[in-house]
Amino acid sequence: MISSAVDPVQLEEVRKRVFLALFIALAVALHAVEYLLPSPLPWFRFGLANILTLTALFLYGVRAAWVVTLCRILIGSLLLGTLFSPAFLLSMSGGILATLLMTSSFRFFRPRIGPVGVSVLGALGHASGQLLIAWLLIVRHPSIWLMLPFFLLFSLISGIINGLAADMLLEFLLKHPAFSRLKNSCRFSVENNDTGSL
Amino acid sequence: MALGATLKRLTRFDRYLVLSLALLVSASFLLLWGRQSGSRIVVDADNRTVFTAPLDDARHFEIEGPLGTTRMEIADGAVRVLSSPCPQKICIGLGDARRAGDLLACVPNRIVVRIEGEKEGEAYDLLSR
Repeated sequence: MISSAVDPVQLEEVRKRVFLALFIALAVALHAVEYLLPSPLPWFRFGLANILTLTALFLYGVRAAWVVTLCRILIGSLLLGTLFSPAFLLSMSGGILATLLMTSSFRFFRPRIGPVGVSVLGALGHASGQLLIAWLLIVRHPSIWLMLPFFLLFSLISGIINGLAADMLLEFLLKHPAFSRLKNSCRFSVENNDTGSL
Repeated sequence: MALGATLKRLTRFDRYLVLSLALLVSASFLLLWGRQSGSRIVVDADNRTVFTAPLDDARHFEIEGPLGTTRMEIADGAVRVLSSPCPQKICIGLGDARRAGDLLACVPNRIVVRIEGEKEGEAYDLLSR
């Protein structure tokens, strides 16, 4: 698995790029499937793509998380035909606020906070960001804030679910040799239950 | 079983964070409680106010939008949408609006109906443009 003929630092860089590309592709796929699912409440989405943002954040750091989120929103909107539409603005504003909250909570609280905590903050930020832009640009009447509690409740639940899924994904990925170098630098608590990859 | 392991890995900070946020969200629901009953409806088509009426008198009215005519009625101190040319009919599904701040909207037809309360007094009882 580890090639001895290649500079390990370079190898790690390339690996990171490849995996980020995979994460983005998965995130776009999840985003698209969610968008296409019929639902009586059209604006309430689970945001499953955030699972990949969280994974990128915990594995590769703040910048990687931003890359995954922004690319996911742009490519996803392009694919779904909503690029630059009002729905895109809502998605963008929610995504930016969510990622801001996630990356800052990650940076400041890192050893103590885990994927679930970061995810919940991200989900709540997403909902608030969307309502904020909807209020400023579309509805323009304070009555829209009456929907805030329902959105927040839904975000809380989906945030917890996404966080748990991301945690499980991280745990699963970190067991693979491709991520062995990251074990010590990324996670909030590392259970070294396998003997190593080399 | 992966879920069990994950739940065990939740840090104390995480648990407290989620708990306090859950409390915050529940508290936000209390904001919905203390709202006064409405006295008037204001209808905006395309972000321009085109119609206001008191909630006390029963009446039927129609508002024109880009997709067609949306029919609404005021009855029993509440306003509701009867029919609308939009594809998903979410506006009809929203039901009654009766308290100050309640909102009904048919987004495809660009119509928003809001309820205003006692305090926001106006000089006229009914306005139609």
